Amino acid sequence: MSLVNFTSFDFEQLFAMSDDTNPLMMLIWILPIFFFVFYGQRIQLYVTSGEIKKGIKKLDEFRNESRDELISYVNKNLKPADDPIPKIDRFIDYFTIMPVEMDPNGIVDKVQHIVRSREDYTREHVRSLSPQMSDIELSKAQTLLEIASSLQMIYKIINHMYLTAKKQNNYPLILPLQMILPFIMEQSEAMKEAISVFKKGQPVGDGIGPMIVGKMMLEREKETIAFQTTLVKSEFEGRKLFLVKAEGPGSTVGRPADGLEKIVSENKIDAIIMIDAALKMEGEDSATVARGFGAAIGGIGTEKFQIEAIATSKNIPVFSIVVKQSVKEAITLMTKEIADTADSVREQVNEMIRENTTQGHSIVIIGVGNTGGVPQ
Amino acid sequence: MIFKKKKITLEYTVEKCSKCGVEEKRKYSEGDVLFSQCSKCTSCDGMMMIEKIFGESLEQ
Repeated sequence: MSLVNFTSFDFEQLFAMSDDTNPLMMLIWILPIFFFVFYGQRIQLYVTSGEIKKGIKKLDEFRNESRDELISYVNKNLKPADDPIPKIDRFIDYFTIMPVEMDPNGIVDKVQHIVRSREDYTREHVRSLSPQMSDIELSKAQTLLEIASSLQMIYKIINHMYLTAKKQNNYPLILPLQMILPFIMEQSEAMKEAISVFKKGQPVGDGIGPMIVGKMMLEREKETIAFQTTLVKSEFEGRKLFLVKAEGPGSTVGRPADGLEKIVSENKIDAIIMIDAALKMEGEDSATVARGFGAAIGGIGTEKFQIEAIATSKNIPVFSIVVKQSVKEAITLMTKEIADTADSVREQVNEMIRENTTQGHSIVIIGVGNTGGVPQ
Repeated sequence: MIFKKKKITLEYTVEKCSKCGVEEKRKYSEGDVLFSQCSKCTSCDGMMMIEKIFGESLEQ
């Protein structure tokens, strides 16, 4: 066996620099270099475009499916007097213009006003499809409309970015799109899968907070404390408990901050405990339970702001327990692992009450999240 | 793997007896609502309540 001799390289032969070099071969090697220097980005643009086009096709299918599902749900369950399609198509295209942020003073109130106006008017418009529909059916139809509307908006934005980059033949313009597309596709697929869950009225992963508090509320007198928000007064080892959750089993998150505001205005509260679903980090196990401090509530931020403002003004500590899950798990049918955490979280809430309060104290426990399929 | 395995979600309902605590897992059927009383317990005379509704993913 002979080993490679590293001591006697023939550099001229290796780099073909000798006199007998074929100029045609040199051209064959050099031409592609020039070609890729001038046209490399354009080739990358075509390759990337192909991938993005596939994604956009899927997004188009998702938005059409969600629209068809909404129309079939309305026709089957709500029995509208007139053809609902023109109205539904109009609702799907509703948009929201956020207030200007140049002067941030009072921005939260402005955002809250716009978001709530949108919710209120959309609700009334959906109700106009079939005035006899129950509140539960109404909340389901509204959620389906939100999903269809979101998928429509996502499709339009991604398609716009793609077509602009193609029109300008601009590779750097398509790069951010290539980077965000996997995340967008993950969320869109989750939204598409969520449709059947909301239609059937099943609990979603985000409903773990309302599920735990809803069970604590069973067989007790309920009162409406705020719009689509339920309150139950209870007791635990000498402490007074104010249990708050969105009013189920309709698909809604309620207005827990308004509920808290009312409770705090009438009672002296010593602690607030919030139970919510939280997005897990990559690598983290799904359905792990974590405790912490601060208001555990998602959404656009107005409810969180309101809860923090109330807690700060009255000097009330805010404790949180969260159940970790992915975006998909949060809006699709609750997984077994998440459902199985319910008893453990309930036990941790009891522990938290014992550790942080004493007898005679009053505690507000809020189950945060979408209460679709979760009564009380 | 070149081809992704298709995932399907099987829907289940877990009923629990409020008296003896016995649990039963069955396929989800339309109309099942959490915390609703659904049937009589087979081991005692208590009522079964829907404790959980969840999905389990299966790869095909």
